[in-house]
Amino acid sequence: MTEKGPAVVGVGRTKFGEHYERDPEHLVEEAGLVALRSVDVEREDLDACFFADYFLPITNKIGLEEGFLSELLELNIPMEITRSFSSALSNACNAVQAGKYSLVLVGGMEKMTDRWDKIRDDLMLLEDPWSYYAGGTPESNHELMLRSYMKTHRLHDNERNLLMLTLAELSVRNHENALKNEFAQFQRKISVDMVLGSRRKLRRPLGLYDFAPVSDGASALILSDSDSANSYTQKPVSILGYSLATDYITFPSRRDLTGFLSSRLAMKGALEASSVGLNDISVLQIYDQSTFVGLVTLEDLGFYGKGEAWKSVQENYISSEGCYEINGEKLFINVNGGLKADGNPLGATGGAQVFEVFKQLRREAGERQIKADALKNGCVHELEGFGTKAYVFLLGMD
Amino acid sequence: MSHIGDRLRGSRCELCGKEYFKLKDYCGACGRESFGKMKNIDFFYEEGTLETCTLVDKPTNKFTRLGPYIYGLVSFHDGSVRFPGRLTDKIIANDEDVDFEDLEGRNVVPRFRRRHAVDSSGIVPTITLAFTFADEYYPYHERKIAKPSKEYERPGIVGYGAYTSRFRIKEGAIERSIPFFDEDAITAAVEAGKFGLINSEIDHRLVSKVYVGSESNPYAVKPIASKVAQVLNLGEEEHKEGLQCVDAVDTEFACKAATSMFKDAASLVFYPESKKSYTMVIGTDNSQAAPRGEPGGELDFFVGYGACAFIFGMYDVIAQFEGWISITSDTPDFWRRDLQPYPSHGGRFTGKPAYFKHVTKVVQKLMEKLSLKPQDITYFVAHQPNAAFPTRVAKALGFREEQFEPGLLVKKFGNTYSGCSPIGLAAVLDVAEPDDRILLASYGSGAGADAYSFIATKQLKESQNRQRFTVAHQAENEFLQYVDYGTYRRLKEGLSSI
Repeated sequence: MTEKGPAVVGVGRTKFGEHYERDPEHLVEEAGLVALRSVDVEREDLDACFFADYFLPITNKIGLEEGFLSELLELNIPMEITRSFSSALSNACNAVQAGKYSLVLVGGMEKMTDRWDKIRDDLMLLEDPWSYYAGGTPESNHELMLRSYMKTHRLHDNERNLLMLTLAELSVRNHENALKNEFAQFQRKISVDMVLGSRRKLRRPLGLYDFAPVSDGASALILSDSDSANSYTQKPVSILGYSLATDYITFPSRRDLTGFLSSRLAMKGALEASSVGLNDISVLQIYDQSTFVGLVTLEDLGFYGKGEAWKSVQENYISSEGCYEINGEKLFINVNGGLKADGNPLGATGGAQVFEVFKQLRREAGERQIKADALKNGCVHELEGFGTKAYVFLLGMD
Repeated sequence: MSHIGDRLRGSRCELCGKEYFKLKDYCGACGRESFGKMKNIDFFYEEGTLETCTLVDKPTNKFTRLGPYIYGLVSFHDGSVRFPGRLTDKIIANDEDVDFEDLEGRNVVPRFRRRHAVDSSGIVPTITLAFTFADEYYPYHERKIAKPSKEYERPGIVGYGAYTSRFRIKEGAIERSIPFFDEDAITAAVEAGKFGLINSEIDHRLVSKVYVGSESNPYAVKPIASKVAQVLNLGEEEHKEGLQCVDAVDTEFACKAATSMFKDAASLVFYPESKKSYTMVIGTDNSQAAPRGEPGGELDFFVGYGACAFIFGMYDVIAQFEGWISITSDTPDFWRRDLQPYPSHGGRFTGKPAYFKHVTKVVQKLMEKLSLKPQDITYFVAHQPNAAFPTRVAKALGFREEQFEPGLLVKKFGNTYSGCSPIGLAAVLDVAEPDDRILLASYGSGAGADAYSFIATKQLKESQNRQRFTVAHQAENEFLQYVDYGTYRRLKEGLSSI
């Protein structure tokens, strides 16, 4: 690995939400154009394209997506399709690192609302087919993990109440952060009572406001080798370290039911691959498919010990600054609203997470720019399925 | 997916003891050394624990007819293996409070059920990842395999299992068993067969043929017996090819589809070259009837749901055949044409020239053949389309109440068609004494009747001591759940289409 690693030089994204009236090509075009324009690059300058989506062959009946992209971009360069944005980015980094390509477009998109309610079956079959056939839903694994967490860590009445209240606060905070994010799917305030009320109404541990929504949207970035990065921008954001790990697709058969082994391994790998330490991270984007996964991810990534996050997260939050103080360091988490409020168009989500870190580190986040004097490094955490794959990217500027 | 899901199997590494919830060729911990050292393990007859659970109030699309339901993690062998699973046989009302804490930690047993809904032209998917509590309607019962000990000169019944669901509708004097949403004739057949194996303690690998009689097979073309053979692992298993070395066949003759085969099944084990084998006959039905007010809707007052399996052999016989006889005539008193959802019947015509004529005649002929008088017979069991018919026929033949009441279950379960007179026979075997003579008379529309005379052996007592899921347990039980007519029709319809 060269010292600095590949660099993100430009980013783009669409608003997330329901884009009923727009075809997939228009969404990805919009995100891609923003990224290309930001660094004054023409399509012809690209060496390759790495593109991510989970469901386009199902939702929009597009088979060979590389051909679809070739036609859209009027290019015949190498193109590869993967599922998550992080997977596309990881492959792009490998190729750039190896010296194969020097300028690459990484894109992601999803059009989930075109599948109506069938998307829940698709999601569940994707993440855990055995649980699907046993009657599980995309929500139930989160709830079973929550109950396992309570039992394993022996939380009782008041402790459970505090945990459930903390989770509600996380959702409220996500919505609050999204108020300043013009791309977010939900730009409206919610209250703790709304979160708790939905749980009560559904008679389930987690309710409507505990889960990320179904979304449409696209995101893109331009990745350059470290040597040429400065020719595109004065402020490249380097990928200092990245790593991925896998775990069983069947959640019930995993040994640890109270967190994601894949997240722990990916974080460990990314830290080892870079010279970055946990305390050097200021901006964190976590893949909070649910409020509970958001909480437990803070443990998996090492910010809290196992079974510790529930009691500390709420008291570690400094509302006046909008950040958490963990181990004496300020940490800004999901300042774009997270998956809950920003939206979760699967293939594009990771791109929006990198987009946010890129903008924050370059202090170009406008109204939602973090006010802190010194911002160190950024960290993006993305999952595929229910923790079946985890990716961690550590990003930083000189 | 379907085959493994049907049977709830796993693997154990013989080197390190680690267990896996699926069939695996090697152990992740032991690596290449473990190839060929993995042992199949079977959770189908075991008891697990519901570790954690939640409510599924908005299932994925194919499961909507089941919901809302409890879904969770079930562990076996002290947590060494975990399965996802849903609780079945539980209707959760819209305003019902669900306390997960009350449910977690309780023991559960796997049931064999439909997996989810499919459209009416699709294969019916089934699964064992559906559980009921071990201390409720279906008590946990360990499956043991005993070596055959005593050989008999004549073939007979070796074991049996009756199966009815916990859901009932009660209208006037009659209670009827109704399937849960995920049940049908296939699932009842497998459950009855499973109880039969548990009761008889025979080695399932020694079963040479299984017959399944039904008139409510969800398929017009495709046997139920193949599913029973595969799920119950009957005959030697050729594991790699996924084959069972057993013959399996479906039979059909209205309500006597199963009893008709008793003599064939018994004859087969009497054949010199197959005397060490067993045969299994199952009668199973989710008895069909049109909704009330529609043509054929009169049957809707009487139809039940259930199955009964009988195992025949030469060893450890609990009731020996004394004799049999059958009669047949082409009397179309009840029928269903292809592609019609519900059967039709001939109204008053179904009584005198059909049921009464055939049942009376077949019993008279058998008694004549064996030189028997009514007082020589301890129990008389007749087919039971309702309570009046078998009572009338029994009295006309000279039987007293104490002879025919113990086998008269229609008031508890309704008419379970192919399972009907077999469940009556099972009820009698639950209570009979050695040397008791039992006379069974089945009836099938179309029309025909079979009569059998059985003599109970001393070994019946051993069978009775083993039997936990008795017919009486199913008839009177604190866990029975009574539903209204609207719910009954929905349950009856089940997952038959999306």
